[in-house]
Formats: sequence, structure tokens, C-alpha cells
Amino acid sequence: MTDFAAIGLELAVAATGLAVLLLDLWVRPEQRRWLTWTAVLAVAGIFVASFALTLPEPARLFGGLYVLDELALFFKRFFLLAALLVLVVGQEFADRFPAGHAEYSALTLFALTGMMFAASANDFVLLFVALELVTITFYVLTSFQRRRVASLEAGVKYLILGALSTGFLVYGLALIFGAAGTMNFEQLAASPPAVLESRLLTVGLLLVLVGLAFKIAAVPFQFWAPDVYEGAPLPTTAFLAVGSKAAGIVLLLRVWFVAAPALTASWAGPLLVVTALTLLYGVLCAIPQRSLKRLMAYSSIANAGFLLLGFCSGSAAGVAAVLFYLGGYLFAVLAIFLVATLAWRGTDTDAIADLAGLGQRSPLLAGVLTLGLVSLAGVPPLAGFFGKFLLLKSVLASATLHPGLYAVAAVALLAVVISLYYYFGVIRVVYWGQQAAAQQPPILLAWPARAALGLCVFGLLWLGCFPANVLNLAQLAAQSLPWR
Amino acid sequence: MSVGLPHYLVVSALLFSLGLLGVVARRNVLIIYMSLELMLNAANLALVAFSRYHEQLNGQVMVFFVITVAAAEVAVGLALIVALYRRRHSVQVGDFATLRH
Repeated sequence: MTDFAAIGLELAVAATGLAVLLLDLWVRPEQRRWLTWTAVLAVAGIFVASFALTLPEPARLFGGLYVLDELALFFKRFFLLAALLVLVVGQEFADRFPAGHAEYSALTLFALTGMMFAASANDFVLLFVALELVTITFYVLTSFQRRRVASLEAGVKYLILGALSTGFLVYGLALIFGAAGTMNFEQLAASPPAVLESRLLTVGLLLVLVGLAFKIAAVPFQFWAPDVYEGAPLPTTAFLAVGSKAAGIVLLLRVWFVAAPALTASWAGPLLVVTALTLLYGVLCAIPQRSLKRLMAYSSIANAGFLLLGFCSGSAAGVAAVLFYLGGYLFAVLAIFLVATLAWRGTDTDAIADLAGLGQRSPLLAGVLTLGLVSLAGVPPLAGFFGKFLLLKSVLASATLHPGLYAVAAVALLAVVISLYYYFGVIRVVYWGQQAAAQQPPILLAWPARAALGLCVFGLLWLGCFPANVLNLAQLAAQSLPWR
Repeated sequence: MSVGLPHYLVVSALLFSLGLLGVVARRNVLIIYMSLELMLNAANLALVAFSRYHEQLNGQVMVFFVITVAAAEVAVGLALIVALYRRRHSVQVGDFATLRH
């Protein structure tokens, strides 16, 4: 496989983004919505094409900078699916942007390109460039409603805190390069023991982990998430919660298990503390929220905690559980944001109370929203339940390694119980909430929105009832990390 | 006295700390932003010094990537700050309180 054939998927996505941006100049305004649908079709085509790619063995390209293995492929498909649904949400949200609908789709595709490169990063240089492609694009996507002060403020807040985490990341890279003389993950792992035990490397790696913990919104680097999630437009919030978080997770997987497995294994204790705090902070702060976006922000922090459980168990089963859990999380979050976008068309609200009466206005939307929330809460037989079950099972299977794992599993169970309360609070409002005075009209749905809703429901049920297929893919992907 | 690796690293660490101090202590968005750039340049200095020390060019190539990314970040960032200034008529972070904890 030549170098440029290997990055074919990324090139195709970037080319689609550029094409959307350019075609926007020649397309008449009333036909612009077809541009987004073309982009959706292109992303769907690239998603299908990714299954034609077979890997006899992992390929290392561009001088070891880029790796194409099952883990990378799994995440590339994940990001393609996420972006596909986000594009549909964005199109449904387009009436609330003052201008630049095609630019919104193009920027989503560029962020997708960054995420797909991040899935293949095997070197700190590509890690940095891919992460920044995602982050800088998100600064723009966050503040896209430029008439709304909250959106701009969220953008500036994300900008300052994101740039701060970039500063830590780059300084960490410099120290790692100084200690080891290489930036390649595999070469770093193969360094002599004197290098691996040097204090310079430890500090550098910690700074890089700070940058990645910021991306996935793990305590104590979660403080940006609620404000940015609340201020950003709905499709951006959805993409932040799913795509940006998963990009952080895949880079964390590579750094944690490939670049310095010996060093990170000795940090099991601090990791357990961070995981438990992230779980508790997320679920406890979610309880009093009245804004759906803020609720989802705290829920995404709690979910970062659940994902970190897989790192705690430190086994292939744990990583496979992380990948499976991400799949369920993708469908649940996008179902919720798609319903919110459709239900709040023509308004500028994000209050949970404004979902009241959705059960009568549109039983379909209310049903999909309920499915998404119930899956996030981890109720069988939906995807979220099976993901949480696999994560806890992997933690308990490795519990002989570290006694603290029992404690963190107990904290996770407690978090599941608390999260039931606020997820079901939203469902209660949907079906039994006090409606506003005037009877609101029923909601009409176009067929692309129906198709996207159907895809989310199918994903939630399929992953929950027939997990074997995706679990096999996840286990295959987990095997491409080096296990001793 | 010849200038060696430790000198560069001390200067780099000082620049990084100054930048961090600026981000934490100052209230003007533009000054915060300048401090952030200072942090990136502290890392650049360390990368070049280490690159020379290890006698390989990887570190210096990385510096080019950092400079390019920082330029993109500044372009987007200043546009955002200007857009917010038009609405708020202020560059003090204390005035950006629509989103509260």
C-alpha cells in the first residue's frame, strides 16, 4: 500500500469539504440545501467504502508517522458515522444560522478529517497537528451563531482554554523529545530504561496527558465543558460530545498503551482517583440542571469517567469495552440532539421544560428521545446497558491487579444509579410536563430527518440486542494495541 | 562561559511560566492571548534547543508545525475576539458572563 492510498479516506473527506466550499460559490441560494445532502451522501459513501478496505497486517506509513490498523479503522468508521448524523442535525438547524450554511458543512468535514488523522496518529507530531485541526475548527463551529452573544462567548472561552491546553501539550512534546530524542510512539516505547525512567519524560508525558484530558473533559480539566456546550449551536454540541471526545480517547489509547506502557502502568492509582472523581462530578452536577445542553455537558463528563474505566482495567477486554461503549454513546447522544433540534425549530431555547408536551406533539420524536436517554442511563436491552456491563466486567476481571479497582467499580455503579434520576427527569417532562399556554402544532418531519432518526434507533437496538458483530470489531481493534 | 542546553531550557521554562502567569492573572482577552502565544514559543525554544542537542532535525520540523498551527489559531482567535467586541464593546473577560457556572 502506498502512502497516499493509505490516507485515501481522509483525502476523500477533505476533498468533499473543499468541494462543498467551492460549489457554494456557484449554486443558487434556494438550492444550497442540496449541497449538504450531497456531502451527507459522500460521507455515507466513504463510510461504506471503508469496509472494502482489508488489512492483512497493520501498515506504518510516512516514516512511521501514520499507522493504519484495525483500531484506526474502527475509529475512522465511528467518526464518519458521527459526522454523517451531525451533518443532518446541522441541516435541520440551518434556519438558526444567519449565514454560511455550506461553510458549516465544510468545517464539519474538516474537523472530521482531523479526527480521522487522529485515529491513525503514531507520532506526537501527527497527534499535535490532527488535534489542532479538530480544535481550531471547533472554535469556529462553536461561535457559528454570531448574532448570539452566548455562542460567541462560548467560542472565546473554548479558544482561551483550548489554547492553554495546547500550550501544555506542546511543552510536553518538547520535553518528551528532549528526553528520548524521538517523537514516534513505538520508538519511544523501545527506548533504553535510563530514558524511560528519566524525570524529563515523566513531566513531558504528564503535560501531554493534561492536554488530552482537556479534550475528553476529565476532572480536573472539565471546567470548560458546561459553558461551551451550552453556548454552542446544537449540532456543534453534539459533535463536541461525540467526535471531539472520541478523538481524545483514541489518542489517549495510543499514548497510554503504545507510547509508554511501562510508565503509565505505574500510574494506576492516580488514574483510579481521576476516574472516580470524573464519574462523581459528572453525575452530581447534572442533577440540578435545567438546560438540556448543560445536562448533556455534565453527562458527557460522567461518560468520560465511564470510558476511563476501560483504561483502569488496562486489558484488551477493557479497551474493547471502551470502543463498544463509544458506539452506543454515539447513537444515544445524536438521537437526543437530533430530537432537540427538530422539537425546538423556530425557537431559541435549550430549557428541558420546553420539551413539555412533546409526547403529544410528536410521539415519534418523544419515543426516540426516550430511547436515547434510556440507553445513556444504561437500562437493558439498549446499547448503553451492554457497554456499561462490559466496562464493569473488564474492571472486575482485572481487580486482582489493584485493590482500588473494586472501589472504582462501586463508584461507577453508584454513578449509574444517580444518572437514572436526571435522565428519567427529562423523560417525565416529555410525557407529563406542564405545557405552555397555547397548544403547539404537531411537528412535520422531512425524510432525511426520519432516516437519521431511524438510523439512531436501529443503532441503539442493534448494539443492545445483537452486540456480537460490533463487539467482534471492537475486540479485533483492541488487539492491535501491543499487549504483553 | 559557553551557552549550553541548560541555559536555553531555563529561558524556555521562564517564558512558559510567564505566559501561564499572564493567562491566569490578566483580565484583558488580548493580553491573555499574547500570553498563550508566549507559552507556545517557550515550547518552540525548548524544541530547537533539544534538536541541536540530539543533533537531529525532528524538533526543528516540529517547530514549523507549531508556528503554522499557532498562526491559524491566532487568525481564528482574533476574528472571534473582534466579533465578540462588536457585541459587547469590551475585551475584559469579567464582562463575558452570559454563561455562568
